[in-house]
Amino acid sequence: MSNLTRTYGPFLTGLVLLLTGVWIIALIILPQVNLIDRAFVYVPRGGEAQQAALELERAQQRIATIDFDIRATEKEIAQAASGGGSAGAGGAPSPSNPFAPGAKIGSSNVVRPGMPTPGLAPPAAPPEQRLKTLETERAELQGQLGGLKERADRLKAEQQAATGYSLRNFTTMSGLHWRIFGMTLVYSFSVTVLCFLVCYPIAYAVAQTRSPERVALLMLGLVIPYAINELLRIFAWVMILANRGILNQLLDTLGILDLAQGEAVHWVASNGAVFCVMIYAYILFMVFPIYNTIETLDRNQIEAARDLGASTWRIHWRVVLPHAKPGIAVGSIMTFMLSAGSISVPGLVGPGLHPDWFSQIIYRNYFEAGNWNIGSAQALLLLVACTLFILAVMSLFRVSVREIAR
Amino acid sequence: MTTATADRLRPARPRLTVDWSDVALNVYIGVFFLYLFLPLLIMVLAAFNANDTPSVTDWRGFTLDWFTGRTDAAGNLVVKGLPQEDRFIQGLGHSLAIAAGVIVISIPLGLSGALVLTRLETRATTLLYTLLVSPILTPGIVLGVSTMIFWRDYFALEAGLLTTMIAQGTFIASYCMLMFMARLQRQDRVLEEAALDLGASSFMVFRRITLPFLMPTIATSAVIAFLQSIENYNTTFFAIGGSWTLVTEIGSRMRFGLSPVINAIGVVFVVFTVTAAVIWTLARRRELARKAAA
Repeated sequence: MSNLTRTYGPFLTGLVLLLTGVWIIALIILPQVNLIDRAFVYVPRGGEAQQAALELERAQQRIATIDFDIRATEKEIAQAASGGGSAGAGGAPSPSNPFAPGAKIGSSNVVRPGMPTPGLAPPAAPPEQRLKTLETERAELQGQLGGLKERADRLKAEQQAATGYSLRNFTTMSGLHWRIFGMTLVYSFSVTVLCFLVCYPIAYAVAQTRSPERVALLMLGLVIPYAINELLRIFAWVMILANRGILNQLLDTLGILDLAQGEAVHWVASNGAVFCVMIYAYILFMVFPIYNTIETLDRNQIEAARDLGASTWRIHWRVVLPHAKPGIAVGSIMTFMLSAGSISVPGLVGPGLHPDWFSQIIYRNYFEAGNWNIGSAQALLLLVACTLFILAVMSLFRVSVREIAR
Repeated sequence: MTTATADRLRPARPRLTVDWSDVALNVYIGVFFLYLFLPLLIMVLAAFNANDTPSVTDWRGFTLDWFTGRTDAAGNLVVKGLPQEDRFIQGLGHSLAIAAGVIVISIPLGLSGALVLTRLETRATTLLYTLLVSPILTPGIVLGVSTMIFWRDYFALEAGLLTTMIAQGTFIASYCMLMFMARLQRQDRVLEEAALDLGASSFMVFRRITLPFLMPTIATSAVIAFLQSIENYNTTFFAIGGSWTLVTEIGSRMRFGLSPVINAIGVVFVVFTVTAAVIWTLARRRELARKAAA
């Protein structure tokens, strides 16, 4: 503290501390805390409880309608008993029968299903019989009413009880989603390992190149694809793998399949395609860190090992790889993190055709199902998985955070 | 003199015979670069194909329509090219606005963080450092959603350009911080001390000594922040809400089917990138040569 204030004075120091504080608290910590908070607050979908409440309301409404009809029918019966003709001619429209006069004036063909048509001659069934059916229906509904009300109340109470801190966002996640989570991690890990295997010789070769012109050229060759937008790199591959894409056209030309007859290999519909494109999209995040560390290795060490009779394998195992450890750690962490959290590759290579990636499930919970808390729980799972991976890599390669982020 | 010492004095291995491991390595490098560049080459070529599904195998003649659009004699638009794609143009505007905001956010934050970490000797430094680089190690989508819901929950700020700016700024500031730290660690503190001894105010020291020393890094950080922001997809996709940037628009267009207009955008990107990369390489070589001469 004294160091900063002495050089820059209280005002600038205060500003520096304030900005750092805002960054840490408002941009880094609080959003994550909020995410964690949401992840542990279960908000029931409300679907079931709402449905039950709706059913109850519907039954009550139906009973009200039946009551209305019964009254109308009873009135009709009473009128018929007291020498009906006068009532009809008197034209006193009963309150329960607002359509009666209209029905008389208008076309008599209007039949309203479900509505009693007391004013209309000839009724479908004698009023007594209609009364009876209506009454049985009402009795039936009233019998159900108790059950419906109980269910609606119970679900509502459950909904209220369940809201609050719990692990339910995690425990209610379906087995399928857990499996997708696991697969995503396995695939991401494989992407990381493959990227390393492919990249290591390249990084080594570039770092060992002696001529500066050649190094510049090789670096240019690596920087250009790295700097070109991730989406465009994916797009290039989608063009190749699409159903009428370049790969299938090539197979068509070779006579292996016939596009004209609708034969096509659905490359994009497989996890394999996602896997391949992901390697292409993130491989350069592995090359540069490894290159940067191997470059600092004194070439004499390799020469010395060779002169002392070490085999190529041994040189790599005992000299180059140990030196490159921080670079390998950084490359692995970046590649794993990018692939596990990638929404671009699985979302754009044959969207909806291949099994989901975990990021897509998170996306759906947020933006399609509107289920933010479950989405937060899943985002938290992803974050925890990545953190564990970072910790594992750090302890495996014995590197510190300082060596990782440089 | 024994034969052993004579052997050692000789060059390690006279390279008269073909070194097969070298050949294998070179072939491998060739294949790797083919793997890197072939898809991009295909993408570039397809931008000039008159076929309205992007392809190089089904060649229907050379055209620039996807770049310019084409109108028939009556002035009706026949082929929609880049200039007619309003959402792409607007998206580019949004991208540039976000990038400008990200530069404004991340350079002061990154510089402050770097000053705190390099100048403030506390026991919490490692913890602070871990916290400040953690956004780089967090998956982009987690950063995107956490920012989006936080600002919505507490400030009723709807997801849009502003939340995207904040989400991107959070991790891009970490990159800037690392660059500033590297520079600050090479700073000769004696200059600042001397200025203070000679009676300069602390503000003066910062403005006349520290800032000029950091100027090159501020420039590089701005460029890196700009590029990172423009390129970003994963974080942006989750924080942008109903709005869009050039890159998210490319993404949503890709989901509806491929269009050669995206290839045209790709060509523009490739041309920019290659030019920038070549200039950067030449500049670096000149700098290295100057250093070697000095």
